[in-house]
Amino acid sequence: MLNRTADNAARATPEPLAKKIRGISDKGLAWLFISPTILLLLAINIFPLFWAIYLSFTNFRANRPNEVVKNLGLSNYQRILGDQDIWIAMQTTAHFVFWTILLQTVIGFTLAWLIDRKFRGHAFWTTIILVPMMLSPAVVGNFWRFLYEPQIGLFSYVISFVTGIPPTNVQMLSNVELAPWAIIIVDTWMWTPYVMLICLAGLRSIPEYIYEAAEVDRASNWRQFWSITLPMALPFIMLAVLFRGIENFKMFDMVNLLTGGGPGSTTEVASITLKRQAFESWRTGYSSAFAIILFVAVFGLANIYVKALNKVKQR
Amino acid sequence: MSRTVVSKRSYWPRWARRGLMENIATAIIAIGFLMLFQPFALSLYTYSFVTMLTGTVMFIIVSKFPE
Amino acid sequence: MSLTTAHSVVAPSANSKRIAGVIIVAYALISIVPLLWIFATSFKTPPDSIAYPPKIVFQPSIEGYCNLFTTRTRQTPEYINSLGPATGFCDETVRKRNMVIAGPSNFLPRFVNSLIIAFGSTFCAVFLGTLSAYGFSRFKVPLADDLLFFILSTRFMPPIAVAIPIYLMYRELGLSDTALGMILLYTAVNVSLAVWLLKGFIDEIPREYEEAAMIDGYTRLQAFWRTVLPQATTGIAATAIFCLIFAWNEYAFAALLTSGTAQTAPPFIPTIIGEGGQDWPAVAAGTTIFLVPILVFTILLRKQLLRGITFGAVRK
Repeated sequence: MLNRTADNAARATPEPLAKKIRGISDKGLAWLFISPTILLLLAINIFPLFWAIYLSFTNFRANRPNEVVKNLGLSNYQRILGDQDIWIAMQTTAHFVFWTILLQTVIGFTLAWLIDRKFRGHAFWTTIILVPMMLSPAVVGNFWRFLYEPQIGLFSYVISFVTGIPPTNVQMLSNVELAPWAIIIVDTWMWTPYVMLICLAGLRSIPEYIYEAAEVDRASNWRQFWSITLPMALPFIMLAVLFRGIENFKMFDMVNLLTGGGPGSTTEVASITLKRQAFESWRTGYSSAFAIILFVAVFGLANIYVKALNKVKQR
Repeated sequence: MSRTVVSKRSYWPRWARRGLMENIATAIIAIGFLMLFQPFALSLYTYSFVTMLTGTVMFIIVSKFPE
Repeated sequence: MSLTTAHSVVAPSANSKRIAGVIIVAYALISIVPLLWIFATSFKTPPDSIAYPPKIVFQPSIEGYCNLFTTRTRQTPEYINSLGPATGFCDETVRKRNMVIAGPSNFLPRFVNSLIIAFGSTFCAVFLGTLSAYGFSRFKVPLADDLLFFILSTRFMPPIAVAIPIYLMYRELGLSDTALGMILLYTAVNVSLAVWLLKGFIDEIPREYEEAAMIDGYTRLQAFWRTVLPQATTGIAATAIFCLIFAWNEYAFAALLTSGTAQTAPPFIPTIIGEGGQDWPAVAAGTTIFLVPILVFTILLRKQLLRGITFGAVRK
């Protein structure tokens, strides 16, 4: 059995060639090439992860490193999973994730569907649309605070101009009702191009002959859309949705800069809660447990994402 | 990522095919997420973590199963 | 954007094309407004920037840029009159507001930090990524799929969750608030993208080239150096730009793990304040300087964007 795997490894290059190679064997070279990456990831990602798992069972506090560390067993997890406030933070996250994904998918798919018509100059305008997603969410998100300022901010001014609401009343970031939407708007503005680009790839992957066949069968445009366009583009849409879902589930930078979780805790998404617990209250053990919970959630989604990725790859 | 373990195929029970089991694991992860995000019952939120963990571990295991 | 398929039989009618075009152009113009506003604000004076209603037409000024690069102190008019003539435009503008330039601001060092950390981590990530991608692409690596998934999954870790143990680890190792620490961290985050993207690019290079080179007597390593690398240049360049953009834009790690000497521009720009609140023209100026390289790169990359955002899975 063992011999056979070794044989297979050698067969990666044709046999007459394999004999000609001097110096390092292919197998040695493969490991020489791959191991630095693996080692780096083990040191910077996996070792800290296991450290966090260890800390999550303790009452360690990073601002008091000399205190005796007590083992708490699973009680950190029990506290987080029974905590009303963290449950509410999860719902805030859910609200944010749900609406951003819904808006981005609907707008992004529509844009892609329109661009697929290939009107004159579509390549240029597509590039323009793609610009926001390449920018730093933190730096641009920070500037949106200015656009949201009541009266002097451009966004607030336009809103009050269009709706007739007195300009001092358009308080996007300090109104409890509006603040979550302020963040959703910026995220949608920034990441709709991402969904659009992937949907566009999905639409372009549909072979033309399917439409031709549908045309021969005299299927209506409406019918063609629902039974060809949408199902065939669906794996791509799923890919975009899953990725945005993962990213928005752990969203930190934009929310931190726009509202910092406020007003009160109306926009306190999971990452903000985690940051407050870990780097403001310095409850390191407790927040490590929370981090592990978030990590498992993200890791579960990542598995599904890679599955979706492979589905798209086969096309 | 396509894993094919040809030699084992004949012994492998039909119900434990990779595709089916992966879909079940995906569903469990999805249910875990719904439990995490729902605003109705605190106890569902409490057990969401265990559900997601189960789904994820199951996904990793069944992705080794033959097609 | 590639134009491979033209729906000849089922081509959209001229009318529907026109409507689509109008909607897309409208969306593009609206979505670009915030960026134009950043650019415009950077050339406004502070009073112009907070005027109501917001000013679209204004007298351009580089006061924002002056304020971005300097710190200023308020002085009495008598003191300012007692000074010699202003030495430059910035000096003159600042004096009109009854202030004198006290010294350079922290923007330039933070910007330089961003450059060092972004380029350093990009170089390391692309170097490691090229080697690993070649390894995964050409050799039968045991558990290759699992290793590739492991590599990718590290990218999905929530930054705040990683930051907690990294913070402790760096404190022990003396790496907190150092450029080296940030370079290591960004390399680790970017290497996953680099491996996946470059594997896609190297997979596309036919093996025959290397095999021919090896028949000519080159070793595998030489064949890699002489035939694969030159052909993968486009892919390597595109990957490098993606890594660069990520490291350049990154905020969460930078905000939590750096505070002084190694702080990058993204956590610094929001802290620029003037008298009585945020100095928006200076923030806009900093943002503009920060965004221009990304705009250039986006235009260079537009054909590879799709690949980059799907880890090399979607090619066209």
